[in-house]
Amino acid sequence: MNNSLVTLIGRAMFGPAPLDHTDQAAAIAVACAVVLFAIAVPFASIVTWVERRVWARIQSRVGPNRVGPNGFLQWLADGVKHVCKEDVIPEEADAPLFKLAPYLVVLAFILPWAVMPFSSMLILADLNIGILYMTAITALTVVGVLMAGWSSNNKWSLIGGIRSAAQIISYEIPAGLSIFPAVLMTGTLSMQGLIRAQKWEPYHWFIFANPFCFVAAIILFVSTLAENNRTPFDLPEAESELVAGFATEYSSMRYLFFFMAEWGNMFIAAAILVTLYLGGWQIPRFNWSPALMNLLQFICFLVKVLVLVFVSMWIRGTLPRVRIDQMMSICWKYFVPIGFINMIGTAIWVAFFPHGSRLMEMAMFALALAIVAAFAWRVAYFTRRSRMELYFHPTI
Amino acid sequence: MGPLITFYALALLAIVSAAITAFSRNIVHSAFALFGALAGVAGIYVLLGADFLFIIQIFIYIGGILVVTIFAVMLTQGIADVNVSNRAVGVLPALVTAGVAGGVMFYAIIHSSWYHARPGSATPTTYWIGDAFLGPYVLPFEVASLVLLAALIGAIVISRQEVRE
Amino acid sequence: MTPLNLTTIDFSWLAILPLIALSVGAIVVMLAGTRVDDEDSAALGFIVLVALLAAFLLTMFELGQNTAAFRGSLAVDDYAVFFEVIIIIATALTVAMSLEYAADAGLAGAEYYALVAFAALGMLLMAAAGDLIIIFLGLETMSIAVYALAGFIRRDAKSNEAAIKYFLLGAFSTGFLLYGIALLYGATGSVRLTAIHASIAARTAVNPLLLLGLGMLLIGFGFKVAAVPFHMWTPDAYEGAPTPITAFMAVAVKLAAFAGFLRIFFTSLDPLATEWSPVLWALAVLSMTAGNVIALVQSNIKRMLAYSAIAHAGYALVGMAAANGREAGGAVLYYLLAYAFTSLGAFGVVVALDRGAESHAQIDDYRGLARDHPGLAAAMAVCLLSLTGVPPLAGFVAKFYVFAAALNAGFTGLVIIAVLNSVVSAYYYVGVIVAMYMREGGVAVESMSRRPGLLISIAVGVAGVIALGIYPQPYMGAAVNAFASALGRPALHAVSMLP
Repeated sequence: MNNSLVTLIGRAMFGPAPLDHTDQAAAIAVACAVVLFAIAVPFASIVTWVERRVWARIQSRVGPNRVGPNGFLQWLADGVKHVCKEDVIPEEADAPLFKLAPYLVVLAFILPWAVMPFSSMLILADLNIGILYMTAITALTVVGVLMAGWSSNNKWSLIGGIRSAAQIISYEIPAGLSIFPAVLMTGTLSMQGLIRAQKWEPYHWFIFANPFCFVAAIILFVSTLAENNRTPFDLPEAESELVAGFATEYSSMRYLFFFMAEWGNMFIAAAILVTLYLGGWQIPRFNWSPALMNLLQFICFLVKVLVLVFVSMWIRGTLPRVRIDQMMSICWKYFVPIGFINMIGTAIWVAFFPHGSRLMEMAMFALALAIVAAFAWRVAYFTRRSRMELYFHPTI
Repeated sequence: MGPLITFYALALLAIVSAAITAFSRNIVHSAFALFGALAGVAGIYVLLGADFLFIIQIFIYIGGILVVTIFAVMLTQGIADVNVSNRAVGVLPALVTAGVAGGVMFYAIIHSSWYHARPGSATPTTYWIGDAFLGPYVLPFEVASLVLLAALIGAIVISRQEVRE
Repeated sequence: MTPLNLTTIDFSWLAILPLIALSVGAIVVMLAGTRVDDEDSAALGFIVLVALLAAFLLTMFELGQNTAAFRGSLAVDDYAVFFEVIIIIATALTVAMSLEYAADAGLAGAEYYALVAFAALGMLLMAAAGDLIIIFLGLETMSIAVYALAGFIRRDAKSNEAAIKYFLLGAFSTGFLLYGIALLYGATGSVRLTAIHASIAARTAVNPLLLLGLGMLLIGFGFKVAAVPFHMWTPDAYEGAPTPITAFMAVAVKLAAFAGFLRIFFTSLDPLATEWSPVLWALAVLSMTAGNVIALVQSNIKRMLAYSAIAHAGYALVGMAAANGREAGGAVLYYLLAYAFTSLGAFGVVVALDRGAESHAQIDDYRGLARDHPGLAAAMAVCLLSLTGVPPLAGFVAKFYVFAAALNAGFTGLVIIAVLNSVVSAYYYVGVIVAMYMREGGVAVESMSRRPGLLISIAVGVAGVIALGIYPQPYMGAAVNAFASALGRPALHAVSMLP
């Protein structure tokens, strides 16, 4: 566990000598608290405000702008409001399970942060099985969601819970299959190992290593949208049919927990994709102090993740919801077979090009640039016809 | 001392959860209690230095089998009614059988000379598991996929809708 | 990243080609099934038959090899070949019986034949297993396929009952078996049968853990071979399953279970023979007695044959309890061979009367069969007499060998009980013959000329019964040599059997 956040904090607290057990436990506790309360929870909270502002702009509205500058403190106001509300537990509900469910969901949201590779040193524990840990633990959400859906004793909740669970365990398969190409190329499951195998230049990211990886990265992104119940896969909370899905009967802090976990999982899902295919925290090497380098790496990682989170908000603002049969057929009829092809294809690729192919990397990178350019051109074309000031004036 | 406390905490979690699974009058509670039992066992794998096994236990047993079990329970009609789902029958014979079996096992565990593996170290196991699957145990590894294929076909046979003209 | 060293696999085409032939056959059947109408499903049966023929021919190359492959996971010896050949023949006859039955009973479909092929694959693995993992995986492949086959008539409540009972108790017994395997591994540190043998033989004191594992294995295999008191599922499962599948369960499944049972107990657990021999003694007595006595009062022929199958497992266990040398072990193998052909013949006739849709499996339905269908009645009579143990049929010779072996080993009491049981069994076997030849008023049976597959199956079964009865020496020699090969000893060329 050298070079991890725990060591750093241990040194800061107790000096450079090797730590004994108690000190190490204290260091671990502090490190966890730092990650959780300095990064995870603030992110999950602030992003609610960001998301509402982004949607508002996409829908030509203004969005929350009253609390604090541009409404920035809206998340704090919402939090205080929820804490002050009455915690209603329906009389016919299965009380023990009803109370336990939000904690399980939050557990599945908190545990993955242990292997989150913020920078070359800022990581709680660089587990040997990091990426598997990440995907397995996030999938635990299902149990909490099912528990919430069942214990509410409400048909909307039950249908929402079952839909959510069916969706998560289905999309876990393409998501899992899309992890393999990157793992096959590196031969490691450790988060840091996966990032170290890539370089800072975008064309050395794994997404461009070969066509299979490119497809796998896209499948992984779409699958994580579905696993987090995001539009266009938000059937579990389809407001028009199910009120609020499995969270219908919840109120107060328990309700907030579900949504904190959902928004936090956006970060985690984006971080998985960034780690596997988008170069993680890799930045050019400079002879600067380690602290500065780590700060830059952290910023690099954060920017990449936030861009992906923004894309997922964008999708939520623009795409309609799919039908449940469409959602299932996308997964089982398209993503799973394609996922297997990606896996086998990458295995063959690695066998023929053990050190990768520079030509293919460049070609894939050029292709991606062309796609982005074409897309940007279309967006520019359409925005030119609309009222620009409402889209791009940030402080209305 | 630390690992010992952790072990007993995990063992307690696994055993209490298993007891709830077995004795709860509500089968939904039984199904959810499996979570604790499986997670406790996963924790014990960590103590044994079996990191890959730990994560696979979570992946397959909690993320897969437990969820499907809960699905099956929830989709069964009238499952919450204790009388149909979880009646206690034959308590006395069950107690006698369990007592005898437990006694025999306890005796065997206490009086056995165990085959000791090398003391566990925290070295990564993933690579060696992969190596074993494609090396000495390649045949069981491949046959397991045939077992699953047969099970898939069997499940389709049992569960598909009968098409009658 | 260190590249994998693939040379350590100890790969052997010889050992797995029969398995590959069967699995390819099963997958081809599934793929072809999407293009074949239900009326033409016999074509799918022929695909499985071709795969079985290929497996049979490939198995023949293993004859006389006496090596192991995949680092001892898979034995390539005469013992494996002996069982594999019987299993392949039994599976082929099951498929042949099914060709017309499946279409009549509405069971047609690729899944039926694919599952039969998968079950056969699992059985071949059990016959050739060199370690406990392979035995377990083979058992699971076989069992899962047969659970689904037993419940294949989905609109029939009895078939559903058969499947659910077989599945629940089968899964339960698999749990015992797996627990036993785990304990054995814990006590000896290996899953390879030879390594377990070495580990046990090297020890002076008996490890309680080992005995617990041994007990668990006994319970697990007891369920699979349907020995009393682990037989509860047998009559219901045999009665409800489609009749060709009943034959399959009674013959192939039982043989495969015995193949694994004998292999584990004689090659790796034999140093503990003093511990398990009395248990087998008790199981044998219980199985024979309970099976025969309960069979007396059955009115349904499938249930009667189910109890008879339990009793015959008991006779085989007599030989097993007494087996301390290769002749005695060979006697058990010969017994299973004779039982396989006899049962296949008898169940073939049961299939002939049972038309799937309307079941005619009561013993009363057999009244007057001899007048309309003398051939069928004669075949049934031959098989039932062989099951009773009447000379010069296969059953007599088999019982003679087993009882002689048990007497040689000093199990006089056991042999007396076994002989008395044979006498009791005559009552219910002969009852069917009496109904066929001396009573009137059974059901009308459709002409056999429309059902060549079934006809061939019955003919093969009866021919086997007669051949094994009249000229047993070569087969007995093969059985003795097969057993010797499992023990890693040289074959006896000139076979001179007991007294």
